[in-house]
Amino acid sequence: MTAGVPGGGASGASDGSDSASTGARRSRTRLAARGLSHGFGDGAVLDDVSLTVEPGEILAVVGPSGTGKTTLFRLLAMFERPDEGAVEVGGDDVWDLPEARRLAVRRRVGMAFQTRSLFSTTVEENVSYGLRVRRPWSARVRDAVEGLFGREEPSETVEDALRTVGMFDKVDRDAGSLSAGEAQRVAIARALAPDPDVLLLDEPTSNLDPRNTAAIESAMRAARDRGIAVALATHDMQQARRVSDRTAVILGGTCIESGPTDAVFESPDDDRVRQFVEGKLVY
Amino acid sequence: MFGLGDLNLTYLVSITAVSLYVSTAAVALSAAIGLPLSLLVGFRDFTGKSAVTSLISTGMGFPSVVVGLVVLLTLSRSGPLGAFELLFTPEAMILSQTILALPVLVSVSLSAVQSVPQDLRDAAFAAGGTSTDVALLVVREARYGIVTALLAAYGRAISEVGSVLIVGGNIVFSDSTSFTRTLTTAITVEARKGNIETGIALGAILLALVLGVNALGARFRDRTPGRNGRGR
Repeated sequence: MTAGVPGGGASGASDGSDSASTGARRSRTRLAARGLSHGFGDGAVLDDVSLTVEPGEILAVVGPSGTGKTTLFRLLAMFERPDEGAVEVGGDDVWDLPEARRLAVRRRVGMAFQTRSLFSTTVEENVSYGLRVRRPWSARVRDAVEGLFGREEPSETVEDALRTVGMFDKVDRDAGSLSAGEAQRVAIARALAPDPDVLLLDEPTSNLDPRNTAAIESAMRAARDRGIAVALATHDMQQARRVSDRTAVILGGTCIESGPTDAVFESPDDDRVRQFVEGKLVY
Repeated sequence: MFGLGDLNLTYLVSITAVSLYVSTAAVALSAAIGLPLSLLVGFRDFTGKSAVTSLISTGMGFPSVVVGLVVLLTLSRSGPLGAFELLFTPEAMILSQTILALPVLVSVSLSAVQSVPQDLRDAAFAAGGTSTDVALLVVREARYGIVTALLAAYGRAISEVGSVLIVGGNIVFSDSTSFTRTLTTAITVEARKGNIETGIALGAILLALVLGVNALGARFRDRTPGRNGRGR
């Protein structure tokens, strides 16, 4: 089934190589899954899942653990090709594109993961990683050589991304010294720094304390306010209700209901969704 | 009483220089072959991967005299590489040391590469990295293990006696400068001649070199950020 699209607005494409400009609005693109089916070995994980995440909205993808949310997000982030169906960015099926164009499209999608995923270096270098890999090799080599002779101040883009998650005061810290919540906020800043059109967050607040959870939710809203299409995978129904504009419910690898968050929570069409929302459906 | 035998400055400097040259070249060659190989084996799934991994581990235990014998046969006039006339040259010693150091380097660096969590590779990919960027990130993350691999390979190379004796010939010119004599082979010569004191002095130099190389490696490991573990 296909998630509803309030307001409907399509959007233009951007080249994806530019970096964030503080608070600036620019033309963004949407990300869509069309009939995605995928499995591992003989087991099907996703079955005919369709949904769209529009610029300037937060879509919550909810469902119990093990229902295929992470697989769906990995397909949306182009980690692998779906067995069936299409992932579309700006209307293009990304797997029909030549590799160079697919890389450019992939760079318009940022992602943060449930698990700790910071590199063994400073916070600043973690956040600037996505910007560095977008630069030509000659510039990267020059930067590396210059880095041997001294450290430059963090760029405005890095500063902006870190301020969005409330971590700029830790810009010089060794990433290994951060708490789990701080590390997750830095990981989100890393995804935000290249100013993506789409931000995928796979259970970003699992097992985090309320303070870090609030900071991450605030960053999601800030990203939405910049026009970024934010997709959030979560099994925390209260969080989905707090932050999302629309909600898609996935059970058993299938999207069984989607729509405006209030409607999904208050008057779901599907009885399983009602039970899940009320905490009566246990997987 | 022990005698100093042939120990003079020219001799000492030249055998030390040959030791350093041969071992450094062998480790550089091993790194040029071994690091891409460990990335390839670490990254890719292919049929026979476990057999390749086992072969690499087995290579760490290669008896050096057997390697020396094989290289001798390969480089001898009637051998497949005889035309290059490398036998009893430092280059022949580099070849045999490379064969001995390579499995050590690949095995330890492969272990380091494989210990980099998949989550970090995924994060690099998701941040817009290409497969080259992800590979570089893995090398960076595995840098402590890779430095350890280089040190282990260097240790294996510089302490080698059997194969370099066979393929190098332990040659010293009449002016006491070494052509293919290394610190290790010089120690065997001095011990055989009963010059124990000289042997001990050469051994001390050898130990100092190994210590110096390890100190450099430790300095590199301690200087870079990311040493505080993955979390608190």
